[in-house]
Amino acid sequence: MRLRRLRVLVVAAAAAGSLVVAGCNSDSGSSGGSGDSGGTAEITFWQQQFEPYQQKWFKAHVDKFNASQTAVKVKYQVVPGDTWQQKLKAAQAAGTQPDVATTNYGGIPAGVANGQFAELDGLLPDKAWSDIKENVAGFVKVDGKHYAYPMLVEPSTVLYYRTDLVKAAGLDPNAPPKTWDELLTWAEKLTKGKVKGMTIASVAPDLGWSSWGLQYNACGHLPINDDWSAANAKDPCYTKLFEFYQTLFQKGWIPQQPKVGYPDATPYGQGQVAMMANGSWAVGQLKQSFPALIKNTAVAPFPSIDGDASKPTATLGGWTLTVDSKSKRKEAAAKFIEYLLAGDPAIMADFFRQSGFSKYTVRTSVDQALANDPAATSDPFMKIISEKVVATGKAEPAYPFDISLAFATAIESVMKGKSDIPAATQKASDAIDRVIKQQRLKGTAPKG
Amino acid sequence: MLDTSAKPTGKAADVTGPSGTPSRRQRRRTAKVGEQVPRHLRAHRTAYLMITPMVVLLGIFVLWPLAYAFYLSFFEISFYKDAEFVGLDFYTFVLTDPDFYDSLFVGLKLALMVVPTILVLALLLASFIATLSKRMAAFMKTTVYVPAVVSSVVAAIIFVFIYQDEGFANWFIGLFGQGPLAWLNTATTALPAVAVPAVWLGFGVSTLIMLAGILDIPESYFESAQLDGANFWQRTWYITIPSLRNVILFLLVTGVTLTIQEFQLPLVMTNGGPVNATNTPNLYIFNSFRDGTPYATSYSLTAALLLFLVIGTISVIIFRVVSSEKSSDA
Repeated sequence: MRLRRLRVLVVAAAAAGSLVVAGCNSDSGSSGGSGDSGGTAEITFWQQQFEPYQQKWFKAHVDKFNASQTAVKVKYQVVPGDTWQQKLKAAQAAGTQPDVATTNYGGIPAGVANGQFAELDGLLPDKAWSDIKENVAGFVKVDGKHYAYPMLVEPSTVLYYRTDLVKAAGLDPNAPPKTWDELLTWAEKLTKGKVKGMTIASVAPDLGWSSWGLQYNACGHLPINDDWSAANAKDPCYTKLFEFYQTLFQKGWIPQQPKVGYPDATPYGQGQVAMMANGSWAVGQLKQSFPALIKNTAVAPFPSIDGDASKPTATLGGWTLTVDSKSKRKEAAAKFIEYLLAGDPAIMADFFRQSGFSKYTVRTSVDQALANDPAATSDPFMKIISEKVVATGKAEPAYPFDISLAFATAIESVMKGKSDIPAATQKASDAIDRVIKQQRLKGTAPKG
Repeated sequence: MLDTSAKPTGKAADVTGPSGTPSRRQRRRTAKVGEQVPRHLRAHRTAYLMITPMVVLLGIFVLWPLAYAFYLSFFEISFYKDAEFVGLDFYTFVLTDPDFYDSLFVGLKLALMVVPTILVLALLLASFIATLSKRMAAFMKTTVYVPAVVSSVVAAIIFVFIYQDEGFANWFIGLFGQGPLAWLNTATTALPAVAVPAVWLGFGVSTLIMLAGILDIPESYFESAQLDGANFWQRTWYITIPSLRNVILFLLVTGVTLTIQEFQLPLVMTNGGPVNATNTPNLYIFNSFRDGTPYATSYSLTAALLLFLVIGTISVIIFRVVSSEKSSDA
C-alpha cells in the first residue's frame, strides 16, 4: 500500500514537471495568430528586448509605419531575451508564432535548415539587397538565397581604457597595448587598491561568444574543422589564449566575482576597473549612463596575440529581421521590413544616432546619410571602431552554441584552476565531437 | 468472477419484454453481477464517485502528458517539419553525455549538504520550541516560518549580495583575518554557497512539521525518561527520533527529491557555474532547452524523462532503506 501510494506520488510529481516540456509538442499547426480586418493585413512583430532606446525607436517607427498606410498593420511586442526561446517555442507549438521576428546572424543557418524562415528574395526589391555592404551580404544568405534582412553589425570585442588612470600609472594613453603581453602588463600596472586592471568575460556562457574573435586571433580558426566534421580544439596554438585568460584571473587583475555579464559596462562606468573588453554597444551605455566618463575614455582595437593588427580580434554580431515560413502574410511582413530596414536611409540613420554610434550600418546608403551628419563624423569612437575593428572582424560562427560552450568551459576551467590546458582541451574536443555526431553537423557548414 | 452458469438459451423468458424493461432473468443476472463486486468496493462507492473527477483530471493533465512525453521522446521534434522517428537515439545521447551525469552528481551533492542540515536544525529547533511556553512557542513558530514565504528568487539575490567581495560573508571571515573569497566563482565554494540559502528557505517548514510530530508524542514518555534521569540528548535520541521516524522519512524523501531538482537558486546565483559546479539537473535541462533547434527540444524532453526515472528510483531506495512504521499509538 505504501509503495503504491509512493508510486502515485512520484508519477504525479514528475509528470507535473514534464507538462511544460510535453506541452511543446510537434503539432505542425497553422501560421501566426494575426488576422485581417477590413482589408488590412495584420502582422505580429516580436522584438527581442535590447537597450531601452531601441524599444523606443522600434515603437516610434512601427507607429509611423501603421500611420503611413492602411494595407498593413503591425502588432508590436517586446520579449525579454532570457525568455525568448521558451516563448517562441511555445508559440511555434501552438501555431501562434510571430510573422516577423528579430534573429541574430548566428541563428539563421540553423533556422533555415529547420525550415523556420521564409525566403525573402522575391519579397523585397533587388535594390534592397544591392544596398547591403559586401562583407555583410553573406551573413543573411544560405545556399545563395536570402532568409533575413540585416539591421546592424556590432563588433564583440573592443578595448576601452581610462586615460586618466593610465597616465597616473605612468603609461602612455596614446600608445595603447598592441599585444596580449602588453595588455597583461597594463592590467597589472592599473590594478591598484579596489580598482582592477581590467574586466573581460570570465564565465563560460559569456566566454562562449565573446572569445570567438580571440580564438580566430590565436589560431586563425575556431575549434572545429571548416566542414564541421571534427573538433579542432587541441591545436597547440590555443595555448597562449588559455594562458592569457588564466593570468588575468589568477593574478587578480580582473574582478574575481563579476557582478554583471560581459556586455554590461557598469563596472567600468562606476570606476571599478581601469580597462574593459566589451562590444561596441558599450559606447552607447557609457554615453547615456556615464557621460562624465567619456572625456577620460579612449577606445582601441583589442590587442592581438603578436601585435599584428590585421588579424581579427572581434566577431561581427548583429541582428536581422526574419519572416516566419508559416506566416500567411509574408508579403505584408516583407513590406514592413522594407519600410523599416531597407527603405528611407534616414530611418536607420536615426537608429544609429540613437545608439550613440555604438552599432554600425550594413547599408551603403545609410553610410552616406551618416557621412553628412556632424554628430557621426565628430564621434571620438566611431572612426576607430569602424575602421580598425569592424574592418578586420569576422562573422559569428553559425554552428550550435553547444560547441562554443564546450570550448568556453575549457577556458573557464583553466582560468579557475579546475584543470590544466591538455585536460581541458581534450574534454572540449570530446564534447565538440559528440555535438557533431549527435546533431549530424558533418558537412553542413553554411557556404553563404 | 462473473456468473457463467446463466448461459443464454434463446428461450422466450430470456428475451427483453415488449416494453423494453429487463426480463426477470436479466434482473437476476444484474443483481448477481452486482453481488460479485467486492464488498469493500461496494462499501466505498460514494468515496470512489467523489474521487472520480480528480482521477479524470489527473489522467488528463498528468498521466496523459507523461505518456505522450514518453512517446515524443522517440522523435526529433520540429515545429516546422514532420517529427522524425529516431527510436532510442535521444536516450543514447543523454545517457552518453558526461554533463548529464555531472548535473545529477551536483544535485546529489547539494541534497547531501542541504537535507541532513535541515533535518538536524529542524529537530533541534522543534525540540527547543516544544519546551517553550505557549506564547513564546507561537512567536518562534512564526519566526522560523518567515523564510518559507520569501521568494527563492529574492533569497538568491540577497545571498548574491552577501557573497560579494564587500558583502557580509567576506566581512565575517575578514574578522578572522581570512578572505576575501570569490564564494560564487570558485568551484569548491560555489555549491556550498548555494546550499546555504537552500537550507535557510527550507528549514522553517521542516521545523513546523517536526514540531507537530513532537507534540504528538505522549508526554508520559518524556516524564518517565526524566524520572529515570535521562537528559535532553538522551530523551531526543531514545524517544524523540524513534517516534518521529515517519516524519523524518517524509522530510527526507521530499527534501532529497526537491533539492536534487533545485533550479532557481543556482540559476540566479551562478547560472550553473563556475565550470558547471552548480549545474543542477533541472538547470542543465533548462539550458539545453534554450536553443532553437529540434535537437535541443527533443534532447531536453528526454533528459527530463530520465531525470524523472532517476528521482523516482532514489525515492524508492530511500523508502526501502528507511522503512516507515505505524506510530506506536496508532
